[in-house]
Amino acid sequence: MHPATTITAGARTTRDHRTSPGPTRRRLLAAALAVPLVLGAAACGDDAGSGDSGKVELSIFWWGADSRAALTEQALNLYSRKHPDVTFKTTWQANQGYFDKLATLTAGGNAPDIFQIDDNFLTEYAARNVTLDLTPYAGDKRLDLSRFPESLWKYGVVDGKLAGVAFGENTQGLVYNKTLLDKHKLPAPTTGMSWADHIAWAEKVSQTAKVPGTQDPSADYKAFWVWLRQQGKDLYADKALGFTEQDVTAWFQLWKGARDRGATPTADVIHEGNQTDISKQLVVTGKAATSWVWANQMPELKKNTDSELGVVAYPGDPSAQWARASMYLSVFRGSPHRDTAVDVINFLANDPEAGRILGTDRGLPSNLDIRKAVSESVTDPAMKLSIQVENELGATFGPSPQVPLKGHSKVRAELIKAAEEVQYGRRTPAQGAAAFVTAARAAIG
Amino acid sequence: MVSTVRPADHRVPPARRGPAGRQRGPGAGRQREGLAAYVFLSPWLLGLMLITAVPMLLSLYLSFTNYDVLTPLSEVEWVGGANYRRMFTADPSYWHSVQVTVTFALIAVPLKLAAALGVALLLNRVFRGVGLFRGLFYLPSLLGGSVALAIVWVSMFNRDGAFNSLLAVFGVEGAPWVNDPRWALETLMLLAIWQFGAPMVIFLAGLKQVPVELYEAASVDGAGAWRQFVNVTLPMLSPVIFFNLVLETINGFQGFTSAFVLSNGTGGPVDSTLMYTLNLYIKGFVELDMGYASAMAWVFLLTIGLITVGLFSTGRIWVHYSDAGEQ
Repeated sequence: MHPATTITAGARTTRDHRTSPGPTRRRLLAAALAVPLVLGAAACGDDAGSGDSGKVELSIFWWGADSRAALTEQALNLYSRKHPDVTFKTTWQANQGYFDKLATLTAGGNAPDIFQIDDNFLTEYAARNVTLDLTPYAGDKRLDLSRFPESLWKYGVVDGKLAGVAFGENTQGLVYNKTLLDKHKLPAPTTGMSWADHIAWAEKVSQTAKVPGTQDPSADYKAFWVWLRQQGKDLYADKALGFTEQDVTAWFQLWKGARDRGATPTADVIHEGNQTDISKQLVVTGKAATSWVWANQMPELKKNTDSELGVVAYPGDPSAQWARASMYLSVFRGSPHRDTAVDVINFLANDPEAGRILGTDRGLPSNLDIRKAVSESVTDPAMKLSIQVENELGATFGPSPQVPLKGHSKVRAELIKAAEEVQYGRRTPAQGAAAFVTAARAAIG
Repeated sequence: MVSTVRPADHRVPPARRGPAGRQRGPGAGRQREGLAAYVFLSPWLLGLMLITAVPMLLSLYLSFTNYDVLTPLSEVEWVGGANYRRMFTADPSYWHSVQVTVTFALIAVPLKLAAALGVALLLNRVFRGVGLFRGLFYLPSLLGGSVALAIVWVSMFNRDGAFNSLLAVFGVEGAPWVNDPRWALETLMLLAIWQFGAPMVIFLAGLKQVPVELYEAASVDGAGAWRQFVNVTLPMLSPVIFFNLVLETINGFQGFTSAFVLSNGTGGPVDSTLMYTLNLYIKGFVELDMGYASAMAWVFLLTIGLITVGLFSTGRIWVHYSDAGEQ
């Protein structure tokens, strides 16, 4: 060792150490860098056509609960029995984190052959050409949409391309705690009630039952959307927002009034209910008498509460509601087995036996014949009720709006943020509306 | 490979070879060892390259593009410094998340260290069952950044949670804590502080190293408990304090799990828990703005690096290495 201070000697040793094995290390580095490149190049060689022959394994990915997995696998097994060459690799998980995973799989070029998607993300995926355009398949009936309501399958069209097959129909549903209302001899809400009447009714419930009458839906895009459509507006119009700052101000004002009258819970409880998680909805946690949900969520809601539940349309003119595709099945454009994948979707949507197995788990079956058969055989009372309400509303459904634009999930998040700022009293309705419109414009821009 | 190493090895003067070289004799043996070392290191080295280094470099590249996850990498567009410009000039949520993160780190880290040191001092004494207490205090840290813990926290600190029930005993009406934008971040801080076990164990080990003679000498000189703490314990413990400070600061800035769970991945209520890493995650994986998220990650990396360098430079002033004097 050099006799001088330890620090300099140490530094010098390090430098020597660094230079001596240099070339080797550099080679190692080069080799390490080369490996992924080589692997990547090899992966690019896979260029199979879409015409299938011989054994095919299709990957399919969806979100949902255990019950959905059991039903879906049963239906897929049925397909395999009829087409012994086709087997399935199924993957499923809870809704939370589903779209992270789907995006990551897609980024790696490993998107599943068939995947479940909803209208929050359909445009994101379709605009980036991840989804296969199913128009030609629908044209020559390899994908038979003839028994679908027109407005329903059209709700899968993005920029003129059929990006997903509507798999289940649903619509907005105002779910109320029937047990609670009966106990206090309060009337149930009814379809067609005006917004003012709904708030007055909720105020009465709060006073009588000592449970806030209604969740405040000002942060809820689907309630805002229905309300907008009742005034001849929409959430989106072509590539822009379909509403103005004044509309948002009026919407926030309406609910500020409701909060001031005690028709809703306090801001922190509203915040809890603003989560999309079914088990957190205030009507099942007992923190409000009504929640703003999708009608087909009734059975899942019922699993989270002992109370009896009822469902009606959102307030105002019910014809503002539409047949919304609760979800879609889409085919990955890069799938080597596109034809088979489409055939599987066609089977799941139109085969009577598959339809009977799948039931109403993903919403009312899209195929009207199957819907009829399934509706007649349903035994679950909560599901029966939601089918009944959807059928009633179906008679007055207005035309479907366009599929939400790219950036829709950001718009939803911004609405929640702006509405909560107003709910917590940190901003006035006008300030909240201004902030939301600015942020929403940026999100879809 | 061996032949390329050999000439290089000759450049190292024998005097610098160190003990191993002297025992084994010069030359080939050491090279073989070096090679063997690389072979044994290769699993780690490959892992580092493939899982860390390559993706990191890729993300540096992506930070100058408009990569959106769904578009293939071959089709991304180079946007120059646009992501960085947007971050600093056109994205209010960015500066908001910086503010949230800095507030969190500035308050939670010192309090956590103080709690760790305080409990370590108490547990440094000899009494019956001290091992059990050490274990108990360490337990929350074992659970670490676990999701389950954050879920428990949410249920304890909402309007009808256990904490408010406790306050009610004293006639105090609590806030809705996690659901209140004024208190949500503080609730997260409390969770971080409560998990003081890891620095506590390190402090305990440090305290054991302080020579008893120093305390004896100090008490002979008439120093009371407080003087002993300030003039003996703290200086002797300063390297350990420094170590914990650096580690916890980095951890504090990187806080993610609890904020994610508490806010259901949104950073709410009204962005009050929008930590930097959570904002980055939302930008990258929810809004699919991965180029921008990559730029955020690089600014974050550089910032934490700078803060660490800053801590090291102040360390020269207040960290006392007792063995330095002896040499």
